[in-house]
Amino acid sequence: MSAVDITFYINAAIAIYAGWRVFVTDSMVRASFFLLISFLAVGVIMLLLAAIYLGVALFFMMAVEMMVMALFMVMFMMNPAGLNPMKMVHQEKVAIGVGLVAFLALSAAALFGQYPVRPVPEGLEPVVSLGHELLGDSMLVFESAGVTLLATMIAVVMLTSHRGRYGEANHGSRPPGLEPGGDPADKPSESEEEGGHHHHHH
Amino acid sequence: MSLALLIVSVCSVLLALAVGVYCVAAFDHAVEARVSGARGGSALMAPLQQAALLWYAPENRTETSDIPAWRVAPVLYLMFAAMGLALVPWHSRFVPVDLSTGVVLWGAIEPLATVVIFLKGWAPNAPFPILGAYRYVSLGLSYILVSMFVLIGVALPAESLQFKAVVESQAELWNVIRQPLGLPLFLIVGLGVSFWGPLNFIDADDLNGGGAAEDSGRIRLLWAVGRAAMLVAFSAIGATAFLGGWQGPWLPGPVWLGLKTLALLLVLVVLGQYLPRPGPERFLTIAWVVLLPLSFLNLAWAGVEALL
Repeated sequence: MSAVDITFYINAAIAIYAGWRVFVTDSMVRASFFLLISFLAVGVIMLLLAAIYLGVALFFMMAVEMMVMALFMVMFMMNPAGLNPMKMVHQEKVAIGVGLVAFLALSAAALFGQYPVRPVPEGLEPVVSLGHELLGDSMLVFESAGVTLLATMIAVVMLTSHRGRYGEANHGSRPPGLEPGGDPADKPSESEEEGGHHHHHH
Repeated sequence: MSLALLIVSVCSVLLALAVGVYCVAAFDHAVEARVSGARGGSALMAPLQQAALLWYAPENRTETSDIPAWRVAPVLYLMFAAMGLALVPWHSRFVPVDLSTGVVLWGAIEPLATVVIFLKGWAPNAPFPILGAYRYVSLGLSYILVSMFVLIGVALPAESLQFKAVVESQAELWNVIRQPLGLPLFLIVGLGVSFWGPLNFIDADDLNGGGAAEDSGRIRLLWAVGRAAMLVAFSAIGATAFLGGWQGPWLPGPVWLGLKTLALLLVLVVLGQYLPRPGPERFLTIAWVVLLPLSFLNLAWAGVEALL
């Protein structure tokens, strides 16, 4: 067994083990970072497959993605730092069924599929050829996707920004009351702060 | 790669790491003594004395903390610094990790460091560390973006993502002159990612020690070593990307690289003592409104220069 084979088996084992830990751990933050470990191991396998750029790109994309995911999950939970134990799975029976079917289907495709044999030509530079593909024949698709994503990001920032172009973004909105029909939970009476604007009466 | 080359590579990276970390601590002590006029022992012995103090200090525990994460985070941070250092070419024929996408891997180390810094602050299950951790995540994105655009600017004239090619592209003119905005921006990012000096918003005094508020003993020592190592990695990558790496007259390549790295290290330590400290919110505004547009300008400049 060569060093490449050993590296592959170690990383495959890490990817599977960390992927399994995602579902049995009891914290959102741990689950996100186990998923990150799983992806990093897959990234190393991609490096072994000579996808030098895509493997390394997976490292930083997944690092940022899992960081943001952990942060947002903790922010939207009633669990301040995400350290209180909580169950990480829902609808277990359906999920197990779907997981088994997906695993069997992918394994069957891997084992019984007919794959073309196209050895990589000698002296192929994967990074250069990827660059030519992305900014050559596929440039229109690539650039359209890029500009669309950028426009989405700018639009989301504009929509969620507290300070809008025409005043406060949440102008006129009212958080729910502590009891039905009661005063908003987090907002002091506006007459005390500014005077003049009466959106509600006591 | 033969076994001998592998061993030499590992040893050279570890040696550079050890010498670099020691130099950071000694420089910092010397600069601080010079600024404050304090006579606090010799700068050469101080790093070892401080390390011994932390080594023998007892460890701290908090309620329902994630102890494995707390312990593994400083190790991983140190490991990422070592990975960055391994990408640096010592000579045209000796690069510990000669990856054809080395610049991108360095770009991946910064987000991975963000994850580890967050994990370190999250693990103790205590208020000040988690505040420091959140603070770094919100600042980290601006560091990553600035660093990425600066490094793309360096890769453009080299027409390659390999650090060796980046060094070779500076044979006639160093990038520090070709792209004058690049090195200052990269050094600011370096101070930010190793949260050093004025940009230490994470383990900051305004958070009662922040991310390191609950650290004691060897974890604190390891964390300090990791931050110094990250500063060393930034200096070495900066010397490679902007100061011509191993290139220079008379002396052999690795000596030139070492001298340039130490010079940048000294600049970073001095900046850490002399730059004013902005508040974290203000620095976030500065990062997005000043530093990021400057990095765009740098990239546009590099693009125009590459076309001409």
